[in-house]
Amino acid sequence: MKKSAIGSPTRRDVVRSIGVAGLGAAVSVPITRRAFGQTKKSVDISFWTFDNPQQRPWVQKRVKMFMEQNPHVRVDFQWFAFGDLGKKISVGFATGTAPDGFVSQDWFMPVWLDKGLLAPLDVKQLGYDTFTAFTGDFAKAFVDGATKDGKVYGYPMWFYGYCNYLNAKQFKEVGLNAEKDWPQNWDQLGEVAKRMTVKDGDKFVRQGFKFAMHSSQWTMIQYNPILLQSDGKWFDDSGKCTINNEAGIKAMTIRASIAQKYGAEDPADSIATNPIPGMDFLKERASMFFCHPLPISLVKAENPAMEAENYFRPVQYPGVQTGKGFSTTYGFNLVINGKASAEKQEALHNLYKFMMSDLVDAWKDAAPFTFAKRTGWADNPEVQKFPYVNEIIKAKDEGVFLPRSLVFNELADSMHRAVQKVMLSKADIKKTLDEAAAEVDRATAAYKRA
Amino acid sequence: MTLEVADSRRNANGLMRHLPALRKTVGLVLLASLAFAFLVPILWMTVMSFQEGGKMFNLRTEWIPAVWHFENYPNAISRAPFVQYFINSGIVSLTVMATNVVFCTFAGYGLAKFRFPGSGLVLLLILSTLMLPLEVTLVPTFLIVHKFEWINTYQGIVAPLLIDAFGVFLMRQSIISIPSDYIEAARIDGAGELRILLQIIVPQCVPALSVLAIFSFRDSWDQFLWPLTVVSIDRLRTYPLGLVQFGEEYGYPATEQMAIAALATLPVFLLFLILQRSINRGFGLSGLK
Amino acid sequence: MVELTSSEPYGSLSGPPPVARRFWQIHHRQRIRLWGIAFVLPTLMFFAVFKYGPMMWAIELSFNSYDMVSTPNFVGLDNYRSLAADPIFRETLINTLVYIAGSTILTTIIGLSLALAINTGIPGARHCMTAMFLTNLMPIIAVCLVWRFLLHPYGLVNQILQPLGFGRIDWLTSSSTAMPAIIMVTVWRFAPYFMVIFLAALLALPEDYYEAAELDGAGAIRRFIHITLPLLMPTIFFVVVVSALLCARIFLMPYLITGGGPGNATRVLSMLIYETGFSYLKMGLAAAISVVLFTIMMGFTALQIRLFARSEQVYM
Repeated sequence: MKKSAIGSPTRRDVVRSIGVAGLGAAVSVPITRRAFGQTKKSVDISFWTFDNPQQRPWVQKRVKMFMEQNPHVRVDFQWFAFGDLGKKISVGFATGTAPDGFVSQDWFMPVWLDKGLLAPLDVKQLGYDTFTAFTGDFAKAFVDGATKDGKVYGYPMWFYGYCNYLNAKQFKEVGLNAEKDWPQNWDQLGEVAKRMTVKDGDKFVRQGFKFAMHSSQWTMIQYNPILLQSDGKWFDDSGKCTINNEAGIKAMTIRASIAQKYGAEDPADSIATNPIPGMDFLKERASMFFCHPLPISLVKAENPAMEAENYFRPVQYPGVQTGKGFSTTYGFNLVINGKASAEKQEALHNLYKFMMSDLVDAWKDAAPFTFAKRTGWADNPEVQKFPYVNEIIKAKDEGVFLPRSLVFNELADSMHRAVQKVMLSKADIKKTLDEAAAEVDRATAAYKRA
Repeated sequence: MTLEVADSRRNANGLMRHLPALRKTVGLVLLASLAFAFLVPILWMTVMSFQEGGKMFNLRTEWIPAVWHFENYPNAISRAPFVQYFINSGIVSLTVMATNVVFCTFAGYGLAKFRFPGSGLVLLLILSTLMLPLEVTLVPTFLIVHKFEWINTYQGIVAPLLIDAFGVFLMRQSIISIPSDYIEAARIDGAGELRILLQIIVPQCVPALSVLAIFSFRDSWDQFLWPLTVVSIDRLRTYPLGLVQFGEEYGYPATEQMAIAALATLPVFLLFLILQRSINRGFGLSGLK
Repeated sequence: MVELTSSEPYGSLSGPPPVARRFWQIHHRQRIRLWGIAFVLPTLMFFAVFKYGPMMWAIELSFNSYDMVSTPNFVGLDNYRSLAADPIFRETLINTLVYIAGSTILTTIIGLSLALAINTGIPGARHCMTAMFLTNLMPIIAVCLVWRFLLHPYGLVNQILQPLGFGRIDWLTSSSTAMPAIIMVTVWRFAPYFMVIFLAALLALPEDYYEAAELDGAGAIRRFIHITLPLLMPTIFFVVVVSALLCARIFLMPYLITGGGPGNATRVLSMLIYETGFSYLKMGLAAAISVVLFTIMMGFTALQIRLFARSEQVYM
């Protein structure tokens, strides 16, 4: 009988020595430090994520720490540009070369789940006694995308809501107070934006407000709350797209109002790039901008004065009803490839548990990106030090999730086209929404047929 | 043949042969302005690569930087293993250039000067490989490379690029204009087919070969989607993958991305400068006088 | 004086009496033909593995529904039927044809004009060529960043046009100017590419005809039309076909500049294929769109081959 280096033989060693290694693996308890020797079979896992200057180095750090503490596990950690990760994963699934574990945007979860690509997670291995204990630790919004039939398929990691970022200095210039006069409904947003606007003839020197229009994901994230606040729905119960009903038209009108009714925005005039959609706000060409939590290093790189004097400030998304604003909350889940072997899945569970076990450390490296988890970090003084952090957390907690649809990408592209037509080509709202709804219905029908 | 004679022969088919100096100057000014207009984007890129990061998105460009930030270059390279990325790109492109020059010449010659049945159809077939975009053939190509166990290897990156129909077509078109009488004469003299190719055809299409070398190097240098698909480990990435990822790094001056882009134009440009002479000097023998 | 046309495929042969020669000729011709096939064979074999295999797979896929993760299942002509009924596909198809036609024609004309201009032997012309060729070497991502910037409503292009009396032009966000802008960027990028090819061809043109024509008193324009153009036909053929095929396939450049917008104004088939396959996970449908594109380009190329075949007789 083999003796473990640390102490007397554990039950595990006995079981192993009888040669029932597989059984042993299934009832494993995470083992932290081994003094020497590899009595545990070595496991190689691949884990992919997207690149982000703050998040990825932190993940890399945690993975490295995990490997140090678990020498029998080797993690092949790779990262790819945000837009490319999805391609790599799809091709990986198509060719059987997908990684064992990866990070998934939460709006893709319905598709992965529908196609049975992900392995259900064992909440016990992640440190929760029951399924309800797990779902209770994360707001309903996040978990809805990651659970199906009483099983959970993703461990929510970073989740954030959108805030309305204000340029407090410009507010002061026009005699407003960012603390008290921030727009709480859409009309106020238009009025405030109009007041902030500075023009030189026909040319905008400063736009009061800017909507990002560079990608269909951002279009969806920004439009989602407007539609829901207007009592609209993306789909009715039969699955038909309802963005073109009365509520939908109201929502699109609101969306267009800043530029068209209040004249405070020029949709064609933007220096935003795909990696930095907030460029207009950062260069002070726009006074207000809807955005996920803005990293300090980004502000510093583009506008050192704004960072040094800290005059960029997040407030809540406006609402149709004053004071009842909410934004979209979306995020990223840690998931496991359904085809990964049992040992790999176990190793990944341990990795994920370890990664998410010190969120304050994560905050230190990756602030201001917030987490889906309710407990264990928000009240920490480290976290509370961050300026306006409670606004950011509130936006995340109160936000609604994106439509869980099997044709999410088609929906996003149709909405994106519709918004472009309305804002850039000044198309008729009803007609444009009718076209978009028809496109989405076609896509839904096509998905069902396939 | 001296260069002088070559020069005047070159001018013979030009449009302004015995031109008064004034027209020549006007012509040069026009040409230079046009060249300048074409160059504006690349000038912008180069100027920006020496600029401070915050000034990149000013709509009124500061064409002469107030402060020259030469450190953008070493800084940019240090952010990611760009040296390794450029080496990888170099290996891939040199290999692809070499195989293209050899095999496209063979195939181009075969299509140009040998009237076997269906040669027109074969040309169409070869060109058809250019008609389906990579996006749809990505998965099966990946599977084939996977079968060879070439995923995450240089062979894997290079494999689908080894012979490009574009190159075959280019060589065919340039070899077609070589008078067949040369070939026949050599055949009568008893020369073998390979000798004919190497000693008669190749010297006459040196400009086309140079063009082929430059373009096959350049096309593989810029490849993005295929290397993205076949490479999942950092040390085999080619520079376009690194450049895209670099673009998503906030916190660094955006102008550093321009520095990498400027560096990326250098190798192909150098190759062009080297081979340019053979394009210009080009033909050695001509005409059956 | 070299004969421009030759009635016999392998040039004229003089030699032994007809009967004996015919026998020897047949054997000779056979051998030569085999050599021809041998020269082309390595390329065809390579293509068979790395190109035709995947192409067959893709064409077969167009009759299936395939989401990349489950096995494909056969749906017959369903994909094609849904394309026919899809207004976005129709718009995209028209955009693509406009884009290919506009870019190809302009690139060919401008490329040829540039090459002719450089070939006049004006001192310094060669340096202009080098400079222009540089523009083709910029990495795509830099190209798109720069052009989005230059074409901004208050960017450099408008800054130059404004004093000339033009108002503000929303190049990339107005549906009437977006496609012309994309064509312009494409021509900018590829005209120098083809200029070099035309130049290489021009430099290889034999001198004799021009000398004879000058002796006969032909002017520059007549020399161009009757000597240069016919001799350049193989190259023109090449440029037209290759630039059309390039434009049909090109994806990253328009995608990064406008993403297909505004609305559908600059969506081309290659973008639709990418979105349908990788975004919507409908590889079968994407394959069907590719087959449509493939068929169009095949038809176009076959037509070009026939049109230019006669002009190639000149050299045979």
